[in-house]
Amino acid sequence: MTTTETTPIEAWTRRVEDLVLDLDLSAVRAWKDAQPGRKAIGFLPTYVPRELIHAAGMLPVGVLGAGEELEIVRGDACFQSYICHLPRSVMELGLSGRLDVLDGMLFPSTCDVIRNLSGLWQLEFPDKFVRYVDVPQNFDPEVGGKFYERLLRELLGELCALSGKSPEEVDLAASVRIYNTNRARVSELYALRAEEPWRVPASEAYLALRAGMQLPPEEHTALLEEYLELARAAERPMQDNARVVIAGAFCEQPPLPLIRTLERAGCDLVDDDFMLVSRWLGPDVPETGDPLKALVDAYLAFGGEASCKYVPDGEDKGARLIASVREKHAEGVIFAAPSFCDPALLDRPMLQEALDEAGIAYTSFKYSENTGQLQPIREQAGTFADTIKLWGDQ
Amino acid sequence: MTLAAGIDVGSAAVKAAVVRDEGNDPVMLGYETVRIRRRDLDEVVRAAYEGALARSGVSADDIAYVATTGEGEGVPFRTGHFYSMTTHARGGLYLQPGARAVLDVGALHGRVVRMDERGKVLGYRMTSQCASGSGQFLENIGRYLGVALEEIGELSQRADDPEACSSICAVLAETDVINMVSRGISTPNILKGIHLSMAGRLVKLLKSAGCEGTVLVTGGLAKDEGLLAAMAEIAVERGLALSIENHEHSILAGAIGAAIWGAFRHKKLAQRRALPV
Repeated sequence: MTTTETTPIEAWTRRVEDLVLDLDLSAVRAWKDAQPGRKAIGFLPTYVPRELIHAAGMLPVGVLGAGEELEIVRGDACFQSYICHLPRSVMELGLSGRLDVLDGMLFPSTCDVIRNLSGLWQLEFPDKFVRYVDVPQNFDPEVGGKFYERLLRELLGELCALSGKSPEEVDLAASVRIYNTNRARVSELYALRAEEPWRVPASEAYLALRAGMQLPPEEHTALLEEYLELARAAERPMQDNARVVIAGAFCEQPPLPLIRTLERAGCDLVDDDFMLVSRWLGPDVPETGDPLKALVDAYLAFGGEASCKYVPDGEDKGARLIASVREKHAEGVIFAAPSFCDPALLDRPMLQEALDEAGIAYTSFKYSENTGQLQPIREQAGTFADTIKLWGDQ
Repeated sequence: MTLAAGIDVGSAAVKAAVVRDEGNDPVMLGYETVRIRRRDLDEVVRAAYEGALARSGVSADDIAYVATTGEGEGVPFRTGHFYSMTTHARGGLYLQPGARAVLDVGALHGRVVRMDERGKVLGYRMTSQCASGSGQFLENIGRYLGVALEEIGELSQRADDPEACSSICAVLAETDVINMVSRGISTPNILKGIHLSMAGRLVKLLKSAGCEGTVLVTGGLAKDEGLLAAMAEIAVERGLALSIENHEHSILAGAIGAAIWGAFRHKKLAQRRALPV
């Protein structure tokens, strides 16, 4: 079906898609060029405290791979064939000079592959700032909390040394406020999508979120507000689709055509785990008191959930996923995990067991960030949506 | 009473049907089939839909649910979309209540779908991506031979010594046909050879899907009596207990199934007070 007129929301989508698919990070270069001496710090999924980078006066930049846009040559030489695609494309981006604009990189403790990538990065780019951010897997304030607080204080000191800002100048509380506002808009976007999914296609919500990986948070918040206004005003017919939650895509991102394929196949994606860094803490990190301590406490108490996060009590496995299904009135779950993603694929049987017990329908597939063959996924998602719509209550 | 429409967007034609559903007893009121012929798809869809409404004596405002199927995910006025397997199974059951499988042979694919007595899909098998089991291939061959698609079935049944041709690849099969013409093989024998080649693949598909009893052929090639006769021959040769049938409305199975599921879904949503507005 074709239409000739471009609506405001279509124009927004094209503009943001161009930004998101730009592997040369032109927006980051423009930000740096606007003021001499500015620096940008890249980070990998799943979670790093972006407030620290921002407070040190630098731009946090999410590095999420090259999707389907880049042929991998040098990146393949660094990893075995049974390793996921993300580190290959990140290495390819680095070795081809596309990430030269970044003055440093943070590698969070998502999995062994990301940790190894941090080591490779130090070898390949010895002149760049590289930090492995060992976000804790122990949530006891006296153990993981103290460890994390020390880690964040060290990291803030290192970031200030890199930016040239003295620690006395740092206003971390202001950064927390700015990110709280950003997270509030993200929550609003997800709430609208769950309530009226025909107004907010998942592919557009994804673009809205992903733009935040390159833009300063203040600018990203404005972009989200612009989108929310356009989405609420857009005349889009309500459609009878199956409401599903996507789980497993917290690190290597699915290509945009895959998200669009799921929607075209009749699935309203009412929740997901894309770019969790945008939502990990929620919008209510305390804005008074010691802001660094507030970030630590928020991480321990309210941190998001993904397969890379240890769940101490096995009984709780899948509880967040089931809660999301219930809260968003979803009718099923699509497990979409990257090929060779150890955390997601090892978690999957446990999550499926939890869904079985809860009587929630699910289907599962694997993808890669450069997946091009979408027809089998279309068939699978389409028949899953039909099954939910026709037989879901039987 | 619920009125629902189904629109099946295929690769060669758009089919539309209107169904009236009272209780669990759907009745098709009218239908329309419009060939695409490289025209704007929006216009073809609209023409098929409006044609079906006119022939049913109802207006668009009377329709509670517009269900698309096939490649119809992009139809802007749809209420919902159902996947082809789901709709062909239900449409097949409507046309032949005794069938427990449909063999959907369209312009670009062949597909077997097994279903239960409610039309719920139990399993399926598809041909590989090669077009040698498809209507487009047969149409191309007809063009080489100067035979209209509608004449192929009848001519094929006049064959007295069918010539075997490649069943693996459409390109090789087309080369075979050119050779046959130059060797003076008659048109009926060429067409029967092609039908046997296609039928061999389709019967293999039925066997691999575990089909038994009545199978309804749907899709654009359901009208090709020559293909059905060839499939029946091969099924007998291979000792399969299959009754391979067609229906005058076989080509509409997807659209009918979509309309029936649309009405079914409308009732469910109405019970939940969750109707799209």
